[in-house]
Amino acid sequence: MSIDMSQFYQVFFDETSEHLASMEALLLDLDVDNPSLEDLNAIFRAAHSIKGGSGTFGFTDMTSVTHVLESLLDRLRKEELHLQAEMVDAFLAAGDTLRAQLEHHQGGPAADASEIVEVCARLNLLAAGNVTAAPTPAPAPAPAMAAPVRRARMECDLPAEIAGDPVRLANLLDGLSEIAALDVQLRPDADNPHLSLVLTTQKRDDELQELMSFYLEPDEITLSDADAVQQAYGFFDHAPGLDAVVPEVDDSFGYFEDAPGRPPAPEDEWYGFFDDAPGLPASTVQGLLHVEEVGVYGLFEDAAGKLENLPNRNIAPCDSPAAIEGQGYGIFVDAPGGLGLFDNAPGSQQITRTSAPAPMGNGQVQPPAPGRRLSDGPSVEVAKTGRRDNDRTVAAANAETSIRVSVEKVDQLINLVGELVITQAMLAEAASYLDPVQAEKLLAGIDLLARNTRDMQESVMSIRMLPMSMVFSRFPRVVRDLAGKLAKQVEMKTIGENTELDKGLIEKISDPLTHLVRNSLDHGIEIPEIRIAAGKNPKGTLTLKASHQGGNIVIEVIDDGAGLNRTRILSKAKERGLPVHDAMSDHEVWQLIFAPGFSTADVVTDVSGRGVGMDVVKRNIEGMGGRVELESSTGHGTRTVIRLPLTLAILDGMSVGVGGETFIVPITSVVESLQPSLDTIHTLAGDSRMVYIRGEYLPFISLADAFNLPGVEDITHGIIVVVEVEEGKAALFVDELLGQHQVVIKSLEENYRKVPGVSGATIMGDGRVALILDVTAVARMGLAGSGSHRRGLNTAP
Amino acid sequence: MEHNESGTSNSGEFLTFTLGAEEYGIDILKVQEIRGYDAVTRIANAPAFIKGVINLRGVIVPIIDLRIKFRLGEPTYDQFTVVIILNIGKRVMGAVVDGVSDVIQLSSNDLHPAPEFGSILDTRYILGLGTVENRMIIVMDIEKLMTSQEMSLVEASAAAA
Repeated sequence: MSIDMSQFYQVFFDETSEHLASMEALLLDLDVDNPSLEDLNAIFRAAHSIKGGSGTFGFTDMTSVTHVLESLLDRLRKEELHLQAEMVDAFLAAGDTLRAQLEHHQGGPAADASEIVEVCARLNLLAAGNVTAAPTPAPAPAPAMAAPVRRARMECDLPAEIAGDPVRLANLLDGLSEIAALDVQLRPDADNPHLSLVLTTQKRDDELQELMSFYLEPDEITLSDADAVQQAYGFFDHAPGLDAVVPEVDDSFGYFEDAPGRPPAPEDEWYGFFDDAPGLPASTVQGLLHVEEVGVYGLFEDAAGKLENLPNRNIAPCDSPAAIEGQGYGIFVDAPGGLGLFDNAPGSQQITRTSAPAPMGNGQVQPPAPGRRLSDGPSVEVAKTGRRDNDRTVAAANAETSIRVSVEKVDQLINLVGELVITQAMLAEAASYLDPVQAEKLLAGIDLLARNTRDMQESVMSIRMLPMSMVFSRFPRVVRDLAGKLAKQVEMKTIGENTELDKGLIEKISDPLTHLVRNSLDHGIEIPEIRIAAGKNPKGTLTLKASHQGGNIVIEVIDDGAGLNRTRILSKAKERGLPVHDAMSDHEVWQLIFAPGFSTADVVTDVSGRGVGMDVVKRNIEGMGGRVELESSTGHGTRTVIRLPLTLAILDGMSVGVGGETFIVPITSVVESLQPSLDTIHTLAGDSRMVYIRGEYLPFISLADAFNLPGVEDITHGIIVVVEVEEGKAALFVDELLGQHQVVIKSLEENYRKVPGVSGATIMGDGRVALILDVTAVARMGLAGSGSHRRGLNTAP
Repeated sequence: MEHNESGTSNSGEFLTFTLGAEEYGIDILKVQEIRGYDAVTRIANAPAFIKGVINLRGVIVPIIDLRIKFRLGEPTYDQFTVVIILNIGKRVMGAVVDGVSDVIQLSSNDLHPAPEFGSILDTRYILGLGTVENRMIIVMDIEKLMTSQEMSLVEASAAAA
């Protein structure tokens, strides 16, 4: 492949991932006993798009897998085969293989070759195996399908990037030549993208369109019968004796003229109407149903003889073709004078018409074939075409409502808005010194600015927000596979998939959630026999729920399984030498399973039970600034609740002052703050200090000592902030509390390095930088350094 | 970029500044801007020459006082104190100096190798000595200096790279 293709690779990767995802979603929703044709078609289209894309970009390994996949799907959607559960499994496996191949092309590890071979063999077997077992008659073929080998004319305007690129164009033509003998009449180039071909093939029009679907929408391709066109020409050129009916419509309606001897239109397309001219193989006109022609077809709405109705009924079509209609009709304008009349030629002439239900509906004309009337066939065709049009409008509307933007750009925007917020805060502060009477207008403006900035910040932040369904959507597959493996029956429910969460968090939450779901399936939900014995529905339920609560998002994983086993956890904990006793509250017992290496599973399966997990889950979630809680009731199930901040970029913080510097303590870790009194401070081993608060002795950590700052000397003049750290609680001693803010988190490491005890920095309203504390690290630093730093200080006894 | 990382640039423009009585030059392509000295936010347990970080239009930028680092001149901070904002690799950092004097043109022929002794600055960080109007300019390899481990401005792993 030429090198400049690589710039499109990312688009292909993105699109293919989307196709694979939608394929998987459709497969999982598929009702095996009664699959909807529409879904099968959608799956086929997804597979086909991947095949087309991978072929174009030269990823032939993917092309070959999709090809096998597609052949089986094709047989299914043509109802030559019945869908079976094994096929769904095979399709899912093929989807996984494709994903692995895709990752390989994106620079990941190579896909397992034996797996690919196996998947292909499996698909081939399924495709070949049941031919006789599925004697479902093919749907009554449309009349147009009759001709076995035919010559089709294809006219289309190729997208400029293909027409202008000889390599891609050659690929396209090569692809076509595999199924049809080609006679290229007009080869496109960069200047003229129009392609004109005559294909000698057995394929139907829709199949031809399908082949081109990677490049063009079906209705951008004009297909007609090459022979028909020629004959039709002949028909008009040399058959003056026959009556062609050409309509003409304006306000006075109903001019009709027979046009003996006059070719009614100078363009090919117009001749196309008359595809069904007598003596021709019955071929469809479908390909010709251009929007431009809609109005024209619409004219012929009723059978001959009811012509007086005609004008009233055919005006229905939508507006867009109207202009073109005018043009089209213009051709026929020099009609004879017979006003509202009908120069009906002798009996041999017939006008037939069909009507389409949709406003965009198309009709077809069947020109004067003596003695021949229109069958129902065309109206079927019409309905089909009408729907295709609608589909396309829907797709177009979707495409317009979202755009693909790189995360970098969004982040840049978020940064800039962050700046704006800071600038606005600086302005507000500066303005607060002004005389409110004199500067009334300025102050009002600054108020307005504050409001607008806040709104703007919210909307910009919302760009990064993605619905939870992005994460939830992967679980039906996980649950299905796992339940199969574990011989359990599980129904999965999701609630609140539309709850939005920051993209960064969405990516990080997926692993811990997967772990929790696997845990629920493996340890939570029982096998059907046990469930029945316990008087429960043999089918277990796993619920994933997302919701907003205050400034947090709450994600819950709920199962109706056996629940946690208190005695077993306690005995395991004792075995492992954890400090436990029988009087512990349930809540404390449940916390034990978050201990590293803790597992109560009797058997280690490949699903879970190795004891790596809950501690990692907890650590990951805490790394995101969130918390995990467990609720469980033996015999009734378990509920795991994850609380996360809405975004990673903004933090709710309490600002504290120490030695003239400002620090931010994340509000999630603040328990309380209080003024200490000397008698609550105690020394331990003569060195480190403890503070006695509400029945607990907490380590006393002076921020001034930890950061080597000149803090207040007298403990009674400072403030103690009780914070929750990994090891428990700690009392952080600061000079003063300054306030509470939402702060934009900035990286210190971008231009500097990691600073112990500091998780990041932010910019305050006055433009100065404040450091955000990592309280756990500060607590450790404070404890480690308390011996050396404290000596010079005048402390309580 | 015409600039050569190994420090053997043939000819180029150099920003000169003073530290105490000495005059130094650095590759002007490394200089983003020159600004006055603002209040910095101190960083705990950092070496004394790292003054702290400032907010440079939303970017957190560390500030190094070269006068303290090289024990040259008096580290006073007033409205005449100047910070040179440098672009080193992908990083932005600021260096406090006594004053910025000029932009000079020097070719590699004008540069004489520095003697092995006699300078506070390690010769590893000196590209050479230049002369302009009888003044000696010590041309620094500011990139090598700022990313060196002894400046402790970057993580050890990044400095080694």
